[in-house]
Amino acid sequence: MLLEQQADQALAREQRVNLWLHLRYCPYCNRYAQQTVLIAEWARASASARATAGPVLSEAAKERMRERLVAAG
Amino acid sequence: MTPDTPVPATWPARFGDELYRFALSRVSDSETAEELVQETFLSALDGLATFRAEASERTWLFVILRRKIIDHYRRQARATHVGLDEIEAGGPTEADFFVPENGHWTGPQTPASWLRADAALEQQELHDILQRCQDRLPPQQEAVFALRFVEELSAEEICQELGLSSANYWVIVHRAKLQLRRCLEKHGLGKN
Repeated sequence: MLLEQQADQALAREQRVNLWLHLRYCPYCNRYAQQTVLIAEWARASASARATAGPVLSEAAKERMRERLVAAG
Repeated sequence: MTPDTPVPATWPARFGDELYRFALSRVSDSETAEELVQETFLSALDGLATFRAEASERTWLFVILRRKIIDHYRRQARATHVGLDEIEAGGPTEADFFVPENGHWTGPQTPASWLRADAALEQQELHDILQRCQDRLPPQQEAVFALRFVEELSAEEICQELGLSSANYWVIVHRAKLQLRRCLEKHGLGKN
């Protein structure tokens, strides 16, 4: 969890040292630390890609929305 | 009416597609995405007096939609709100990933190398798999993950929005990441 906290807030010196030591001597944890950053990057990239290339609103839905706006206005 | 005055009845035709795509990129459910766009237009209509011509209508509508998306995640997370004890009791816990005695990774959960992950999967395929994995997270974890890593809210903002303690928040983020990593590996990452 210190890995996640580190991305959001400054850790206390002792926590920083502990995390550094842990990652230095635990290759799988080090690997996980890199993967956790990748997951976050991919999630952002995936959402951005879908926001520009996804399906569009149907004409029927647009018309329904237009009618509601006219009725409410 | 001046040329700069918004004409709400034209919004669906002018901005509907863009707003819908954006909403759908966040909620992956077409019905919910459509509702979010409709709510955005109706809220904008209610707040028409607050619209300032120096901002574009498009920017203004996106700001409202983004707020609606955050509200959507808040409802999703609160509807399935679980405390730390329940988080421990239900779903995968640290014990599924780590040996309780020494904290080492359990054999099957040991992270595989993703060195060639980008090469092994097409970008689109990677995005699709990640989306499916996100959709499989428990609702509260999905909401926290999306708010933090897609909407890029701070931990403090998320705790405030979802009524979480920071201890709960860190457990949820940690669990979400562990499960996403496991799900991604099940779907092909690290098997190259």
